[in-house]
Amino acid sequence: MSTPGLVEDFFRREYGRLVALLSRRAGMHHLAAVEDAVQFALIRALETWTVAGLPDNPSGWLYRVAGNALIGELRQQSGRRRILHQSADEIGGLGHGADDRDAEDPADDLLHMLFVCCDDAMPLESQVVLALKTLCGFSVREIALRLLINQTNVNKRLGRARQHLRQGSRPRDLAAAQYSARLPGVHRVLYVLFAEGYLSSSADFAIRRDLCEEAVRLATLLAEYPVGAAPETAALLALMHLHAARMTARQDRSGGLLLLEEQDRSQWDRSRIGIGLEWLARSATGARLSRYHAEAGIAAEHCLAPSFAQTRWDRVVECYVLLQHIAPSPIHRLNQAIAFAELEGPAAALASLDGLAPKDAPGAAYLRAAVMSDLNRRCGHRDAADRFRDEALRSAPTVAIRTLLERRLHPQSAEPGIAPGRA
Amino acid sequence: MSKRNYLCLQRSETGQPERREAPSPAEMDKMYAQFNAWRETFSDNIVDLGGRLNGKGKIVTSKGEIDGPFVELKEVIGGYMVVSAESVEEAAEIARQCPGVVRPGSSVEVREIMSP
Repeated sequence: MSTPGLVEDFFRREYGRLVALLSRRAGMHHLAAVEDAVQFALIRALETWTVAGLPDNPSGWLYRVAGNALIGELRQQSGRRRILHQSADEIGGLGHGADDRDAEDPADDLLHMLFVCCDDAMPLESQVVLALKTLCGFSVREIALRLLINQTNVNKRLGRARQHLRQGSRPRDLAAAQYSARLPGVHRVLYVLFAEGYLSSSADFAIRRDLCEEAVRLATLLAEYPVGAAPETAALLALMHLHAARMTARQDRSGGLLLLEEQDRSQWDRSRIGIGLEWLARSATGARLSRYHAEAGIAAEHCLAPSFAQTRWDRVVECYVLLQHIAPSPIHRLNQAIAFAELEGPAAALASLDGLAPKDAPGAAYLRAAVMSDLNRRCGHRDAADRFRDEALRSAPTVAIRTLLERRLHPQSAEPGIAPGRA
Repeated sequence: MSKRNYLCLQRSETGQPERREAPSPAEMDKMYAQFNAWRETFSDNIVDLGGRLNGKGKIVTSKGEIDGPFVELKEVIGGYMVVSAESVEEAAEIARQCPGVVRPGSSVEVREIMSP
């Protein structure tokens, strides 16, 4: 939402910036008080600015009001707990820190907060929720809507994260070693954030896209700093941009999902594909090949192919082999089989899935059944194809996916193509 | 027809303090934009954007002063503004369209300010 005189998403951005800045100064164990103070300042701003107009420096105004609210709250807390000397230090740090820290780059605080969120001592789901709350400025209700879980669940995940941050006295800043140790965790949280948006079954396209864009924003920030400028970060950004470029074309007018072969490739965002490819080029340094490299490679092949038929399936298969090697998963194996079918035919693909039992893919039962149905039909095994089709429809997690499967796995459909998993 | 000024008083019912969930930052972005759009639309009509009123105050009578805020009253005045309009209906419509002014638990009273 753009506002006159203010950048887009100003309040939400300021929330993230101020929480990062103030919690870093006051200490992470005061995170709850910091969030309250920032929320208070934003509401005051809304009330004041709409009547009196914008101040000269809106960000500075918010910082002052939030900082004062926080100092007041911490004073009150310390008075209650009668440990004045301890909190006096904290408050002192807050009050006098303005001179040096103000000159610093606020993005530095955001980056610090990102690494605080991605602490493997917390469950991954708590890390994701904490990042959405503190860095992206989403409310509990908005997070619930985006992750398709209920608010109680969001609060539980947040509670675990906050409890962890409250424990013990922690140094104000993370040590350099902690930054490098947590980098893989940061990548994983950003990947999950993006995937939640990209794969979410939420019908609201705008809601899904803004999760993806938040992930891109934070990953871009990460890449700007030496501590985050690893080849994996570039590969992650490549993968995000290459997928995001195809997002609009991925659904039909009524919001249903479209298969890759059905998508109107002219709708793909060419300039975004260009950005993705630039990041891919930048990721090609160093000795390690991450799963993000392999996934970005696959996405790039699809983006570069002029048509479904002209896709370089050999390279796609190669990337899947790499991916399966780096991060073994039944989902990767199924996707690999889909690409393999285009390259070597359905019988070879079916053979490659020998021994993959439903229990091996608990989270992807429908995907396994759908791929098996598709490959069996293309091999002429009608009975097996129908049986797997019924199983796929039964286990489809959402209506959108079931509709897609019904269309794709229809008994009369004899056209070759990829299975729904690649939509 | 010449325009007249109208005083808009926002009232909220006491006794049931607003239980509305505080707006999220994203909602504030939206509210701020909506308010500015409203102000833009009615820039010719808005004489004084007014403001919110503090709950504390005094009532002065011939017998002396009583401290507010008026806890014995059923409603409190939360804010005011002055708009100019052709009619009380038009003034009421301007107030009605102002984001966040008329909502459950609050209402706006629109009164013409008589000019000599």
